[in-house]
Amino acid sequence: MTAILTIARRELASMFRLPVGWVVVALFLVLTASVVALSIQPGAPASLRGFFTISAWLLMPVAPAVSMRLLAEEHRTGTDEVLLTSPVSALGVVLGKFLGAWLFLVCMLVPTLAYPALLFVVSDPAPDLGPMVSGYLLLLLQGTLYLAIGTAVSSMTSNQTLAYLATLFPILALLLAGSLASQSLPELLRPVHEAAQIGRRGSDFARGIIDTGHIVFFLAVSAWCLALAHASLEWRRWR
Amino acid sequence: MILVREIRKSFARVRAVRGISFTVEPGEIVGLLGPNGAGKSTTMRIITGFLRPDQGSVEIDGHDTHSDSLAARQRIGYLPESAPLYPEMSVTGYLDHRARLFGMDRAARGRAIGKAMERCHIAEVARRRVGQLSKGYRQRVGLAASMLHDPPVLILDEPSNGLDPSQIRQTRSLVRELAEDRTMIVSSHILPEVERLATRLVVIAGGQVRADGQLNDLLTRHGTRQIIIEIEPEPGRDRAAPTGDMMGLLRSIAGVTAVSTADTDDGWLAVTLSVDSSTSDPRPEIARRLASSGHTLRELREARPTLERVFVDLVESPAVEGVATV
Repeated sequence: MTAILTIARRELASMFRLPVGWVVVALFLVLTASVVALSIQPGAPASLRGFFTISAWLLMPVAPAVSMRLLAEEHRTGTDEVLLTSPVSALGVVLGKFLGAWLFLVCMLVPTLAYPALLFVVSDPAPDLGPMVSGYLLLLLQGTLYLAIGTAVSSMTSNQTLAYLATLFPILALLLAGSLASQSLPELLRPVHEAAQIGRRGSDFARGIIDTGHIVFFLAVSAWCLALAHASLEWRRWR
Repeated sequence: MILVREIRKSFARVRAVRGISFTVEPGEIVGLLGPNGAGKSTTMRIITGFLRPDQGSVEIDGHDTHSDSLAARQRIGYLPESAPLYPEMSVTGYLDHRARLFGMDRAARGRAIGKAMERCHIAEVARRRVGQLSKGYRQRVGLAASMLHDPPVLILDEPSNGLDPSQIRQTRSLVRELAEDRTMIVSSHILPEVERLATRLVVIAGGQVRADGQLNDLLTRHGTRQIIIEIEPEPGRDRAAPTGDMMGLLRSIAGVTAVSTADTDDGWLAVTLSVDSSTSDPRPEIARRLASSGHTLRELREARPTLERVFVDLVESPAVEGVATV
């Protein structure tokens, strides 16, 4: 566990040591703050619906930008040779890397807590807390899933650009799965298509519905992606 | 102690390592020598557990690097070739990170980092970012990181890479000091460096061990013993050329396997005799025969075989030329 935290700590710190980390956070906050500012209208019910919608879409380019360097950069520079000969299991390395990226996501979301705080101050009657809690939960779950996909992809290449694009496309496919008619797919794939529609799951969260089935879906697919990253690192030892 | 048993490793169709075995006892510094593509780095990567062998096994102090990998890795300090580091971290930050990975507590980390920085002469760059350091400093930071947890086994791939002559001397004395109570494998392309450092040499070529032993043993076993003679040209000849009689006389001496000749700058005849290493010193007999046949000698000496010559002979022998393919 200490080794996982050590790797996560280094990963998180390195993101803030590089300009790209600060740029990503700044752009995310500027864009989301603009949406929140525009959505506050005198006499209209206070809501963060616009913020959660844009944030969910912003995660699509942001998460791959965070995850692309996790293992690909180690492989490119050869630092994986030092890391994987330390007394840390390959799974520990994957979890540490993922945790570091996930904590970066949390650091990016924490300043946005100012938005609901602002609404509670300026809005009368007070806004409904339920959709806000479920909205943040959805952002965390989506971020977890995207970063896990990115970790798996990053473990398979030493090219960061390739890692970015190869992470972006599955995320896009998940987001757009709902717009594809089930009937056009072979019967075998229909249950997979049904389950993969994260847009439909997101709608439930937006209404304030926290369905444990949805939570299990996000966490299970994320765990599967991390297992894939682990297998990829182990395979490198045998290649 | 390092025990390497019959390891084999292929990458696609290339057989990089083809049945390498050797043992390194505590206190020994083994120099791993070989040309580029010989399988040195692959062998080191297998020993450190970074790569798994297709066949064979490696034990570090009794711990198998595959089945008991974490315990084995805890005992290894490893400096890969070109010392890969995180450029955005400070030197102290990087060493602290490495010490944490080995589970060292705060106090132990502080002591180990201070000691390693002092030994590797990097205290003056402690706060600098790794990415801003010269190649020599980066190499020394990598070396410092490899010794932080006081490992009983040190594996150093080209530790002198990028260092200036003064730093090479410092590193050599540091490695010798570290080896007093450790098992160590050092690879290098610089033969005189390995010659000075290692107590034993393992020469690898074509993925196989070509020679294994102490330097003197290798030179005796694999080096060609040579006798150099300089003779005055025979009167009446327009150039320094040997007569058939003289060549026959030299070839007939017991132990002489080959004779070659060349002119010296001042017109004398330089003769090189290759001598079977198992025979006794043939120089008295050579001197006697040349004197009795009326030749004037101005030099008669034995040329000691060099590691460079032995190395080239071993790695360029036809049996191991190039990298074998499946």
